[in-house]
Amino acid sequence: MQRRDFLTALAGAPLLVGGLRAHAQATPAAALTYGQSVGVLTLDPVHGSYTLYPAGSEAALCIYDGLLTFAPDMKIIPQLAESWTMADDLKSCTLKLRTGARFHDGTPVDVAAVKTNIERLMDKQRNPTNRPLWDPVAGVETPDAGTVILRLSQPFSQLPNSLAHVSGALVSPAAIEKYGEAGIAKNPVGAGPYRVASFDPGQQLVLEAFDGYWGGRPKTAKLTLKTIAEPSTRIAALRTGAADIIDSVPVALVAQLKQDPDVAIINVPGLRPIGFVINLTRPKLADLRVRQALNLAVPVDLIASKVFFGFARAPDSPLAFNTEGYAPVSKLLHDPAKAKALLAAAGFGPDKPLELAMFVSQGLFPGDVSVGEVVANALTQVGVKVEITKIEAGSYWDAMRQDRANIKWDIGMFGFNPANASGLYHLASLFKSNADDAARPDVWNMARYHNPEVDRLLAAAGTQADRKQAAADLANAQALIWNDAPYIWLQVNENVSAVRRQVAGVEVWPILFTNVRHAAT
Amino acid sequence: MLRLLAWRLALIPLTVFGVVTILFVIFKSVPGDEATMIAGATATQAEIDVVRHQLGLDRPLPVQYADHIVHLLRGDLGYSATFRANPLPRILERVPATLLLTAAAIALTVAAGIPAGILAAAFQQRWPDFAVSTGVVALLAVPNFWLGMMLIALFSVQLHWLPSLGLAGPASLVMPTIALAARLIALVGRLVRGIVIEEQRKDYVRTAYAKGLATPRVLYRHVLRNALIPIVTVVGLQTGYLLGGSVVIERLFAWPGIGDLLLTAVGLRDYTLVQGITVLFVVGFLLINLLTEMLYRVINPRLR
Repeated sequence: MQRRDFLTALAGAPLLVGGLRAHAQATPAAALTYGQSVGVLTLDPVHGSYTLYPAGSEAALCIYDGLLTFAPDMKIIPQLAESWTMADDLKSCTLKLRTGARFHDGTPVDVAAVKTNIERLMDKQRNPTNRPLWDPVAGVETPDAGTVILRLSQPFSQLPNSLAHVSGALVSPAAIEKYGEAGIAKNPVGAGPYRVASFDPGQQLVLEAFDGYWGGRPKTAKLTLKTIAEPSTRIAALRTGAADIIDSVPVALVAQLKQDPDVAIINVPGLRPIGFVINLTRPKLADLRVRQALNLAVPVDLIASKVFFGFARAPDSPLAFNTEGYAPVSKLLHDPAKAKALLAAAGFGPDKPLELAMFVSQGLFPGDVSVGEVVANALTQVGVKVEITKIEAGSYWDAMRQDRANIKWDIGMFGFNPANASGLYHLASLFKSNADDAARPDVWNMARYHNPEVDRLLAAAGTQADRKQAAADLANAQALIWNDAPYIWLQVNENVSAVRRQVAGVEVWPILFTNVRHAAT
Repeated sequence: MLRLLAWRLALIPLTVFGVVTILFVIFKSVPGDEATMIAGATATQAEIDVVRHQLGLDRPLPVQYADHIVHLLRGDLGYSATFRANPLPRILERVPATLLLTAAAIALTVAAGIPAGILAAAFQQRWPDFAVSTGVVALLAVPNFWLGMMLIALFSVQLHWLPSLGLAGPASLVMPTIALAARLIALVGRLVRGIVIEEQRKDYVRTAYAKGLATPRVLYRHVLRNALIPIVTVVGLQTGYLLGGSVVIERLFAWPGIGDLLLTAVGLRDYTLVQGITVLFVVGFLLINLLTEMLYRVINPRLR
């Protein structure tokens, strides 16, 4: 299926503004500008991967193609591979390579290029980041000019997610030769629809349409990605036409922006459920009734409607709604009376209040401080004494990810964005038992959550050939985790971008990316 | 004068060395390091440790310090996690934009503040004075960030007269310059008004008037000359403030200067970059102070 046909087929999806545009202009604009909230600094899929997040990844989506990619709804679709087949034992994957695709430097996208890139991704020295995505890959075989076989060291059902992830982009081996391993970050040469015309890291990246793109030359001749860090400046740029597309519109300003007839808002629920991780190593919080009480005390619908103006929703599972493998468990309830009763049953009351040290980041998660204050207030209402510590975004992880002896928090705000859209990856990162709970968490299990049945279900979901059964295992794991309440669950935010009304084809992905590779007027 | 200049210039490297040392101590005593940022938000501890080793952050602190100083002498600020390289070229390429904005703001200050102050003094207690004084209070009270936002809302969004961001042509310089200079214009205006009113009571002014000189000539030829020293002092000192203010204004107008880069670096905890820019600010500040002092000697023959 041609890429454009695919887009046409998807035109009904609300994610695509393209589908909403009945009256596109006759002559496409030669140039479009995308005002990004953070700057594009480096553009190599390895060596630390693209920075800054998400701007670098968004640029990569224009410059590079991968073997597979995501549709706007996070379905995995073929790109430079025409098809892929996972072996029944999930220990290998066979891909049929598209013929005729070329990199921007004219060299062909052949099996040798694929091999070079996959081996580059496998190398821990060259690629120290995104390890969980690439560690299971053990080798690459190229039996003929059209076939690539990836060998896996263990059954790994999420390999397609890794290949569709932005780090799976294919770089021209000739360019690696020419610019050196360290040179790709500044001189990216891919096989995507746009090639780099000029690049001022942190300021702007100018892209021009690549005539030799296998999917046809893009409609927009020149695409400029410009850093506009200040939200009000971004909005002014959009309203004056200095930018045609902007990302990260503060939800408080959406209503005002909507009044401008030249502007259209694109909002999509994200994949990152935000909550307060509960420190289960504290005896007072080991009691399930206490954790249930904390969840019942918080007015989640109020947070979604008042703090986020409706651009958020309370979750009903440890996974966000659009995550692959998501299964709803139960709605969150707000019942302060029941919360009080549960706390009393656990031995806490006016004479002996539950005391909690709350860590909140400043500027790391959407509205983090406001949400923290709402939650602290709600907990106070049911008799919990809360002491809030606000921590600057830059040092927040170090404050949170401590070894057991040095954890200073009882509850701390956290949200995980599964960049490969995989629910299994999400749950395993947060809820798989740590090898050693006394040390720092292996990945993100900061709660020190430990449930052998969840561990078994997650292992089974990742390794068994029966995908139906795997989905059922994942659903069961979600239910177990949800009911164990190792978090105070709060909200799933929407990603909000905005475009000039005549701009079509901009996709906002649930994994935070505003994808402008199909943007055109 | 040359000897003094040479002496002052010689002191700059010493000051920079002190600043570098203090910054090193500060950055090493706060929790976390660049490795966390490079490895990414979802990195495991093992991944962070690999990066930390690659960057040499697991070596003893005195070794890191000595290594750091040696590299600095060679013009190597160290490994910037943001740019994955020595960030010096990236910093230097942003200097012209900041210099341009600062120079424009000083020029506007002189061009607007001095005449406004003289006008107010010449028409003391009459409507031009009230108008200037009201303007002074208003400009001092308004935060430059907010003023910038209001300028954008009016001149870009509503009227479409001026570009709202970036550095592209003289028009793009107008609003950032006004927003940056506003406070300084008010300060200089108030200062000039006070000095001129005070000087007007002095004997030499009375003599000038007695000679039959017209008011504008007295003000410009005689009074202003005597008022120049405090004006130069205030403008010189406040230029340091302009450097600080430029951080906020550059971010607001997406101005490609070092202030904007500094905010990015702080947000990312890129200590290498923060340190490089801080040292540049310090050097800039020292040079401006030196220049101010040299100007005194030009203006005031008694100091020569």
